Amino acid sequence: MSLIDLMSMAKPNQQSRTKILAKLKGKELVNCFQCMKCTSGCTALKLLELKPNEIVKLVNLGFVDELPSSDIIWTCVTCLKCVERCPQKASPYHVIMGLRNLAVEKEAKVPEGFLKAVSQILETGLAEPPQKIVTRKMETLDRTCLKLPKIKSPKESFQATFMKAMEEKIE
Amino acid sequence: MKIAVFWGCCIQANQYAYEMSVRETLPEFNIELVDLQDTTCCGDPVKSMNEFAATYLAARVLALANQTGLDNILVPCNRCHFTISEAKDTIKRDPKTAKKVFELLKEEELEFNPNIKIWHTIDLLHDLVGLDKIKKAVKKPLKGLRTASHVGCQIVRYTDLGRIDNAENPKKLDELIAALGAESIDYPEKLDCCGAALNRSHPDSALSLAGSKLKAVQSLNIGCMLVSCPDCQLMFDSKQKEAGTTVGAKLNVPVVYYTQLLGLALGIDDRKLGLQLNQSPVEELVTKIQG
Repeated sequence: MSLIDLMSMAKPNQQSRTKILAKLKGKELVNCFQCMKCTSGCTALKLLELKPNEIVKLVNLGFVDELPSSDIIWTCVTCLKCVERCPQKASPYHVIMGLRNLAVEKEAKVPEGFLKAVSQILETGLAEPPQKIVTRKMETLDRTCLKLPKIKSPKESFQATFMKAMEEKIE
Repeated sequence: MKIAVFWGCCIQANQYAYEMSVRETLPEFNIELVDLQDTTCCGDPVKSMNEFAATYLAARVLALANQTGLDNILVPCNRCHFTISEAKDTIKRDPKTAKKVFELLKEEELEFNPNIKIWHTIDLLHDLVGLDKIKKAVKKPLKGLRTASHVGCQIVRYTDLGRIDNAENPKKLDELIAALGAESIDYPEKLDCCGAALNRSHPDSALSLAGSKLKAVQSLNIGCMLVSCPDCQLMFDSKQKEAGTTVGAKLNVPVVYYTQLLGLALGIDDRKLGLQLNQSPVEELVTKIQG
């Protein structure tokens, strides 16, 4: 579903817009004059039709509620070219990250990979478990065989504080 | 010189070759690495879920570095380097977030230190060690080796944050390659992204991004492609075969870490540099250099 389809029935919501703006601290979203430098250099445009300028425009107009439930916000590759090239420092990347946070807060659909990473961090401290590598010559090697230091599990005090940090909401 | 080091998840979970080659090569230039204790994720995957929690995790890395008493930290992963640098910037600009982060750190008796300098492998070798020292240390000059460099995205962007090199025309990695006697060629796809960040939401698209860059690199008639980020190596080396299928190409591009190539030029044994772990065809490159 394209963004425009999502918007056909949409109503602007200033409260959600204020939330995103507050999250952007110093990133001048309202200064966007739609020069489309972000979209013309966007890595995800070719592949997944991400148009950062449209997202910025919609947020500026207050059409924020539909975006967190759209898959489009999860197509950003975070290559940061849009942040680098934006002449107005409106930084679509940070807008997209804000929308992703909003999606989590609204309990919209979040790609499983992210949910997995968070539970993995809580459990082991790392976002992914150490793997065994099968080499080109079919040897199976892990950290111990390679004489790399052992990875310790995190202390319980870390888990408690991390849980607390995850409960923090967008103001 | 002693420097703290934070490896991050990707290196410690599967990109062992980067860890091995950094551990082998840096001591050659009198750099002693001090591993941080009780490290966790840098916060990058959490950023999409809850930016505050990501800032806390990244600040925690710097707080752990503070415990070592050292003023410098090496973060060899592009993504971790960006996340930690951005958190440092947020804490500097936003006192409210800073206060909350410091309170959480205090619960683990940790203290944030804003004066710790964050290094990446590239600027550590280029700016701190210096090209001359590297040139002098080379035992096996790589004359005649054509390479394509891939510096990655988050280590050069975005400039306002203070990154290690020019965002649109990064040169440091190329100069480091030249210091080994090899040639780093220019090519149109040089700044294209590897796609790794899409692995969590659109893994197929991630592969086709990596595949299309590799396909372009393959046509350049080069000896190897060089990277300095575990995520990029994961896409271009570990997943090269899968990436090839998404763009309808049989890919055979040797992809190595810069520190692996550096190690070979310094005369270090290839198994110590983790070259047995590379999934791309690196045999020819290794035998050629070792003669």
